[in-house]
Amino acid sequence: MSQSQHGRAISDEAQAIENEIADLERRLAEAKLKQRQAQQQRNSTQESEPNVISFPSPSQTILHSPANHFLLLLSDSALPLGSFAFSSGLESYLAHNKPSSFSPSPSSSKPPRTKPPPPSFTSFLPLSLSSYASTTLPYVLAAHRDPARLASLDDTLDATIVCTVGRRASVAQGRALLSIWERSLSASLPPSSSASAGAAAAAAAILKPFSALLRSAGAAAPTSSSSSVNSSTSTSTGSSSGWNDPPPVSAHLPPLFGAICALVGLSLEQTAYVYLLSHVKALVSAAVRAGMFGPYQAQKTLARRQVQEIIAAVVEREWERGVEEAGQSVPVMDLWVGRHEVLYSRIFNG
Amino acid sequence: MNSPFPKSSSAAGEGKIIARLQPDGVSGLETITYQYPLKLISPSKPAEDKSVLVFFLSYGGGLVGGDQVDLSIQVHPQAKLTIVTQGHTKVFTSTKPDIVTRQTLRAQVASGGALCLLPDPVQPFAGSVYEQTQIFKLAKDASLCLLDWVTQGRSARGEDWSFVRWLGRNEVWTLPGDDDSGGRLLVRDSLILDSAQAHPQMKTLRESMHAIGIMGTLILRGPLMKSLGDFFLAEFAALPRIGARDWRSENAKKAEVIEGLSAAETWRRDRLKMEKDSGLLWSAALVRGCVVVKFGAPEVEAGRIWIGSMLVQEGSIDEIFGDHAP
Repeated sequence: MSQSQHGRAISDEAQAIENEIADLERRLAEAKLKQRQAQQQRNSTQESEPNVISFPSPSQTILHSPANHFLLLLSDSALPLGSFAFSSGLESYLAHNKPSSFSPSPSSSKPPRTKPPPPSFTSFLPLSLSSYASTTLPYVLAAHRDPARLASLDDTLDATIVCTVGRRASVAQGRALLSIWERSLSASLPPSSSASAGAAAAAAAILKPFSALLRSAGAAAPTSSSSSVNSSTSTSTGSSSGWNDPPPVSAHLPPLFGAICALVGLSLEQTAYVYLLSHVKALVSAAVRAGMFGPYQAQKTLARRQVQEIIAAVVEREWERGVEEAGQSVPVMDLWVGRHEVLYSRIFNG
Repeated sequence: MNSPFPKSSSAAGEGKIIARLQPDGVSGLETITYQYPLKLISPSKPAEDKSVLVFFLSYGGGLVGGDQVDLSIQVHPQAKLTIVTQGHTKVFTSTKPDIVTRQTLRAQVASGGALCLLPDPVQPFAGSVYEQTQIFKLAKDASLCLLDWVTQGRSARGEDWSFVRWLGRNEVWTLPGDDDSGGRLLVRDSLILDSAQAHPQMKTLRESMHAIGIMGTLILRGPLMKSLGDFFLAEFAALPRIGARDWRSENAKKAEVIEGLSAAETWRRDRLKMEKDSGLLWSAALVRGCVVVKFGAPEVEAGRIWIGSMLVQEGSIDEIFGDHAP
């Protein structure tokens, strides 16, 4: 077969697939239309016979879904992860981009090439989401897809967070989640005889050795309020940051979140969405406490269509990215987060 | 591809450097081979040099779209190797976004050995597509100084992060079989600078860079780099607090001038002024036995002056590798 024939064969095949897709879509649309018409007919007959009251029976999948229940628990701001202690660089971003009111140096004659825009939450949010997703979402997804990789994902992620403040935030929240799991959630997993058979057993097989490994490392969990003011020495930042060999596991949030969501039955999409939405909620709450806006504006920001769309877009962007390819998409974020340490006054721990 | 001993018939863009301690106690090159478009030059040098120097070059002063450079480096016990470039590594425009220019570097450093990589920044032109992977495997007492930096492009031509994609990944591993732990990742530092926007409401690449013109990373590891690493950590801890006010009276400030500062204090004062005037931001962290320094500045030159000033002031690089620093 000559090359041009070969090429034609391929394009014929592609055309055939396209035709098939178009046909299927058309048939789906027709079927949906029929369904709608039938429903309307049903409704109208019900209206005409007012003495026959018939409500559709409640959806069993929603009422009796443990996954749905856990989805709501894990997305609740009341989940005691201690996220409120961290602003993910927002506080530092504000301090670094404040219009320099009392520090103009007379010799700074050359104006910057292009001025960054004045600080605003609407500027920071997409940057933060992009950065948070490109650096950590692949670890959430990988741990959900294969919870048995938890320990190795945790160790690899520990090697990629190259800033003290970011490490502190990730480990504090990860350890909090592990505690919540051990003390609260794990007791309520369905017994292995039920429909989601083996979930409890699988969870025990993965998380028990993980926390044993964490304890063996002698790494006392730093509480979110542990103050390490004005210090960038190894003692303040957990044992994985010293000159010595790192401990086997550190308990970072992303892989633990992915693994636990998988074990309680959340889908991969739900897990990714809740993970990123929780980040947005934490940022919005930090913005309220930093005085950027009030509670109504906060809810308005959270409800925005744009927030939903950006979360969906970054989930899709990271969906197939392996953890080896994860990385920083907003490099200046590393500077802001890293330099949170040198703020004079701070309301957040990171 | 992973073998430290590639076949002798090397492919285009492949290169190999093996540094070894010679009987006279001086580091020398056992092997230095390269294939177009890669070019490696080791200038003849006085025998008392502290490390062996290799220029990492390319024909035409840059990488043309689709070029693949693949350099493997081995540093034997106690040997010291310094690698520098001459001017920016330009990455020329790719004719199509799927033509990727790649540079891969794999280095192994044996016990007591040291590798110092102080190249000029990579300058990706508008429309270029570049992926750079640098993997370092270090024995227990091996040392590494790695500088990796990227600029916004040819600013004189209005380029401002105008490339299609720039991926940079640096990894530091322990050498497998070194102790009971076999080949552990210590640090992975990755940048994903992609002009593709996941959503129109998200920031463009240029907006994401937030008026920074150069972004750099310095990674330090090993006994020979401990002093330099501690220096960066100490200078970072000593940074003036952002938002703090100088409450000293005018007299107290004058008294400081009259009483005089030590040389180190004067240097720090001047450096801090330079950081402030040029808008340079930096941070340093100790991560799994490596010191990772990140810095960014609106102007390329400011980044260059700053890192040079830090390295010269502390002095380890000169002392250990010789006067090769940029």
